[in-house]
Formats: sequence, C-alpha cells, structure tokens
Amino acid sequence: MAEPMQVPIQYNEAVVRKFVIASVFWAVVAFLVGVYIAAELAWPEANLGFSFINFGRLRPVHTSGAIFAFGGSILIGSSLYIVQRTCRARLFGGEALADFLFWGYQFFIVMAALSYVMGYSQGQEYAEPEWHIDLWLTIVWVIYAIIFVGTLLKREEPHIYVANWFLLAFILTIAVLHLVNNAAVPISMYSAKSYAVYAGVQSALIQWWYGHNAVGFFLTAGFLGMMYYFIPKQADRPIYSYRLSVVHFWSLVFMYIWAGPHHLHYTSLPDWTQTLGMVFSLMLWMPSWGGMINGLMTLSGAWDKLRTNPALRFSVTAVGFYGMSTFEGPVLSIRDVNALAHYTDWVVGHVHSGTLGWNAFISFGAIYYLVPALWKRSGLYSNRLVAWHYWISTLGIVLYISSMWVAGIMQGLMWRAYDAFGFLQYSFAESVNAVHPYYVIRWMGGVMFFVGALIMVYNLVMTVRSPSTNLSGSDAGQFGAAGAVVAGE
Amino acid sequence: MEDDISEIIVGIMVAVLGLVGLVMASGAYDSEIFIFGLSVAGFAVVFDIGLIRRHHDRRALARHRGGNHG
Amino acid sequence: MLASLVRLAPLWRGSKTMFRHEWIEKNAILLLVLTLLTVAIGGIVEIIPLFTIETTVEHVVGMRPYTPLELMGRNIYIREGCYLCHSQQIRALKDEVERYGHFSLAAESMYDHPFQWGSKRIGPDLARVGGKYSSDWHYAHLTNPQELVPESLMPKYRFMAETPLDFDHIAQHLRTNRVVGVPYTEDQIAHAKEDLLTQADPAAEADALMKRYPKAVVVPGNPKGPTEMDALVAYLQMLGTLVDFANTSAEKLQQ
Repeated sequence: MAEPMQVPIQYNEAVVRKFVIASVFWAVVAFLVGVYIAAELAWPEANLGFSFINFGRLRPVHTSGAIFAFGGSILIGSSLYIVQRTCRARLFGGEALADFLFWGYQFFIVMAALSYVMGYSQGQEYAEPEWHIDLWLTIVWVIYAIIFVGTLLKREEPHIYVANWFLLAFILTIAVLHLVNNAAVPISMYSAKSYAVYAGVQSALIQWWYGHNAVGFFLTAGFLGMMYYFIPKQADRPIYSYRLSVVHFWSLVFMYIWAGPHHLHYTSLPDWTQTLGMVFSLMLWMPSWGGMINGLMTLSGAWDKLRTNPALRFSVTAVGFYGMSTFEGPVLSIRDVNALAHYTDWVVGHVHSGTLGWNAFISFGAIYYLVPALWKRSGLYSNRLVAWHYWISTLGIVLYISSMWVAGIMQGLMWRAYDAFGFLQYSFAESVNAVHPYYVIRWMGGVMFFVGALIMVYNLVMTVRSPSTNLSGSDAGQFGAAGAVVAGE
Repeated sequence: MEDDISEIIVGIMVAVLGLVGLVMASGAYDSEIFIFGLSVAGFAVVFDIGLIRRHHDRRALARHRGGNHG
Repeated sequence: MLASLVRLAPLWRGSKTMFRHEWIEKNAILLLVLTLLTVAIGGIVEIIPLFTIETTVEHVVGMRPYTPLELMGRNIYIREGCYLCHSQQIRALKDEVERYGHFSLAAESMYDHPFQWGSKRIGPDLARVGGKYSSDWHYAHLTNPQELVPESLMPKYRFMAETPLDFDHIAQHLRTNRVVGVPYTEDQIAHAKEDLLTQADPAAEADALMKRYPKAVVVPGNPKGPTEMDALVAYLQMLGTLVDFANTSAEKLQQ
C-alpha cells in the first residue's frame, strides 16, 4: 500500500435511484389523476357522488402530484446526481442526511395529497398544503439546501458547472417563495386550520409572485439545470455558448421575479404593478429563448444522434416546447390578450404545453438516460418502446393544447359577445355547453399521455430486470469545469 | 466518520420531530392533525430503526473487511 | 434592464477587465449571495409598496368582518376548492361589469385571509352572487346543480346539508383573524357562538347580530342545528353586498 492509489469517489447513487423510482411512480399517479379530473369536467357524474374525489379536492392532488411529486422527485434526484459528478465530490452530510431528504420529501407528498382529499387546504393555488405540512417541507428543503451547498463547497473542481448555478437558484428561490407565501397563523397548534397573514390585494400579489416563480424557478430554472447536464451528455457535445449561459442565467433570475402581476390584469391590483408585471413578462422572452438556443445549438453537428438516441429526442423536443410556451407566455401577459384569455382554458392549455411538453419531456429524457446509468445496464430494454412513448405522448400534447386553444378563445369570445340590441349574447351556461367537445378531446389527449407513461414504466422495469453490465462509473472531469465545456474558448 | 456524525444528528432530529408529532396527535382538534401527528411519529420510528440497522450493517462490513486484511 | 445587460457585457472580455464572471463560478458562497440578491429585488419593489401606499385599498363605506357563520362558510368554500372553478374578481371590463356587476374593489377582499380571486371560470364569477338568488335556490342548487342548470359541471354537494357544522372553536377562529389584522371586537368574539346560531335560525331574535354585522343574511337553517350548507349559503349570500356604492364617490375608486 505504499504507492499513492487513485481512490475512485464513491458517489451516493442509492438516493438518486430512489428518487428516480419515486418520480416514475408519481408520474403515473399524477397523470392518472389528471385524466380523471379531465373526465369529471367532460362528464360531471364521473365523481360517482363522492365528495373526496370531487374536482375541487382532486385538482390539487393532480397539480401537486405532477409538479412537486413527479417533477420534484426527478429534479431533486437528478440534481444530486449532477452535483456529485460535476463537483467530483460525494454528497455532503453522508447517507443519513440524503436518506432523510428522500423519505422526508416523499412523506410530504403523501401527507399533502391525503390532506387535500380529506378537505384541508390553504386555498392558494400550488400552495395548498396547510401550515403543518408547510413546516415539514421547510425542514426537508433546508436539509436539501445543506446537502447541495455543502457538496458545492467540498467540490474538487475549481469551477461550478453551469447546471449547478440554475439548480442553486432553484433551491434558494423556492425556499424564499415558500416561506413568504405560506406565512399563516393556525387557530391552534392542534388544528389544521390557519389564516394567511396577508389579505386581499396583498395576498393576491404575493400568491402570484409565488405562483409565477414556482413556474420560473421550480419548473424553469431547475429543469434548465437538468437540460444543461443531460443534453450535452447525451449529444456528447459541449454547451453551445458559455457567454450565453452567463447572460441568460442572470437575466432570467432577475426578470422572472417581476412577472407575477400578469396573472392579475384588470383586477383590483394597482395599475402600476400590472404594468410592471407585463413589461417584465415581455422582456422575459429573451432570456428564455437564450436558454432554448443554448440547448438546441448544443446539438449542432450532432443532429444525427436524434435518429439513434430516442431519449435525446425527448430532451430536444422538450427544449422546443420550452421555446414555444415561453413565447406564448409573454403574448398572454399583454393586457389586451389577457383580457380575452384570462379565466379561460387557453391558460390551462398554455400551462400544459409547458408542463407536458417541457417539464415532463425533459424529465423522460433524463430518466431514460439515468436508469441504465444507475443500474449499470448497457442500454434500455427497448428503443422502439421509447419511440412509441415519444409519439403517443407528443400526439397527446398536441390534442391537449389545440383543444384548449379553441375552447379558451371560444369562451373568451362568447363571454364578451354582444347581440344586435347591445345585450350580452350568451349566458354563462351556454359557454359551458359549447366547450364540452373540446373537454372530451382534452381528456383523450391526457389518456394518450398517460398510456405513453405506462409504456415507459414497462420499458424501465424490463431494463432493470435485464442482466447487469459493469459499466465504469466516473465521468467527472469531462463536465467538471464550466471553462472545460465552452465551445471555442 | 461523516456518515457516523450525520446519523447521530439526523437520528436525533427525526426523533424530536416524532415527539412533536405525538404531542400534536394527542391534542388534535381534527382528524387531519391526528393522522399527521401519528404519521410523523411512525415515520420517526421507522426511519430511526433504519438508521440503526444500517449503522450496524456498516460496522459489520468494516469488521469483515478488516478481518480480510489482517 | 438593458443597462444591467451592458454592465454584464465585460464579463467575458478576459483578464484585462476589472470583473470576471469566473470569480463567481469559483466561489459557491458568492454565487449564493448574488443569486439571492438578484432574486430579491423584483419582489421587494412590487410587494412592499402594496403595504405602504395608502391608495392601494380604497376607503369605502360598508365593509365589515365576516359573521361567524359566514366565516365558517368561507372555510368550507376553501375546503372544497371552489376557487378552482369560480373566480371572485370582476375585472374592469365592459362585458364583465354587465354580466356580474360593479368591478371588484380591493377593499372588498380586505378581510380575506387569503384572497379567493381565483384564476379560472369553469363556473361563473361569484364576487357579487350575494342576493342574486334566494337562499332556497342556493340550497337546491348545491344539492343538485344540474336540476336548476342542466349544463352545469358542478358536483352535487348534497352531503353538506346532512353534515352538522363543526363550530366548537369559533371564538378561536375570530381571535386568529384578529391576530392577522381583521378588526374583530371583544364583543364580537365573546358572542361568536351565539351569533352563529342566530344566523342559522330564522326564529331567533337577530337584532344584536345585525348590529354587530350589518346586512348579515339569516338563512333558513333547520331545527337540528346549523349544517355546513347553512354556513356556505350565508357566505354566498353576503358576497359583494357589503360596500355601499351610493355613498362611495367615483374618484375614490380611481387608483
């Protein structure tokens, strides 16, 4: 034992594996609940008369399930994978801390979902869990931040890789948003009921400051971190432009925070705030597309890989959807467009082009990459099944968003239509009747997306059950330094 | 070493949370806090048992390896 | 904003410039602090003035805290996720004002912890639904919406009529509201239970209730005691009815 031996770093991959399994499980649950509540809107009798599966109680199960359970699990899992490899360091805090992060987060999800169906809710969209569950999540999130920042601090690489900037911004900002927006006073520590600290117009702005930046930092910054690792990795190409990543990182982080008030156009929120929100939403288009360009151009010279690597196809299509919905977003934030679109299904379609097209697809790409890597398999069980998953889901998304465009614009136009005598032409109920066929089409789109996910589950299970090939683990260094992956520098 | 310290700190933290859960469940106004409190306590018990089990597994593994070298 | 981009411009110009982005990339704590600062600015600029600028919430005549029964009804509204299908915010647009009534004022939700403006209209806006229909209509509609509105997608809330209202801790609810800024008086808190029962009992003497909470609507109720549906209907019947627009001048509403 005299000669110095290069000891390979023992990455904590056990926790990443657990998060990947959890995210796949929650994906199925969240999509299934989504399909079910879409059916309730098409056929109201679908609730079978049970109060606990009414639309109002199940919708938070769907949104929290998709965003925090499916999205959160793959986001946290892949961030732990990325931060270890790009820092060439084992997770800070040892196995116990990472284990608490995993089980604590899953416990949060189960408790939140259970409380929604039992009828305990704060009544704030995407922030429905009551105070006790919020406190639990706070503890878990602080542990997450400690693990992540601790690993950054003990890194062996001099540079912090660009994916980690985004992941760090995601972790920090979500902490701030969660703490500020959920400030509430329970009627007793023995009661689940609390009253929010803020009221009325302040409550509204803080909620949408939170809500919009849950999109901005959970669903955008976090998933951009994923993009900045898995796309270069799968395309075997460096990031297109380092300069672009610097500029678009800081401008994205700065501008997103301002955009919340576009959810409150023409309301009792003061006009100056609405205008600020709209202006920043429009400007936000630029940094958003900066990320898209950086992601897509990373493939230049490697586009042929799309034919041979169907997982990469998911990642790249995701970036395309990201570009599309970050263009639609600023358009919707324009006051006059918003006057028509707000309160309609157009917004629902917009959200799903982002969540299904961007978040879910980039996650599928990451999962298809991670499962063979984590379970040491030479590849996926079937690339053909990945292609099936890809086409069925894409078709599902197209059905979903196009039906919601039509339904939304139709609602907006019907609500503001006047007849020849200057009276409102349609009753509200007529607009409900008119969108019924589109609700059915939307449901079908959801079913297709769900079926795609089932195909993925089958493919992944078969991959894990296939015989192991001992692939060598460490690929750090290649992605270690930001400078090392800069094109032409 | 890092794993040992981490186990102790996390183990104690989870145990304290479990106790808080029990207190909340004991005085609960509603079924939500009752279920939540008991679940936190259950979580704490199972999690800490898992920590202890793994701690001993690791010790045993280390002894085993040490024996091979010796 | 352009200015800040210009300031960022020299970042990559190599070693000759004063500032290099590399410093941030090599220092996790610096990256953390700068990110937090960058994120904080927008929130601070937009949120803090809403608490300090006097005109944000109009001064109007008629706003009062919720009666105990209305408050319980509002909690049921939140519990069932009504806000996911119904907005409570009439925008200042011609067709909305014609369909639903005077556009919503910030003052009208000043005691709402949290707000329930909503973001989607699967059903119509409810900001001024109070008094639009009779209480009996609401009972029938909540029990079986499709019977009155065949197109409706709303679930049947029949169970509410059979579920007794849990109001053991009503005084604590009022007191907690006072902690977060709702001006409940000692008198109101002391009589919370009594007021709640009175509002769900048409036979009871309601003068004291009406004095503490003007315009409160007494709901039909039933001999067995208040149900969840009684509370919800009391809440719905109050929505948008409190502000006295006759005594509130138009200039005051301009923001």
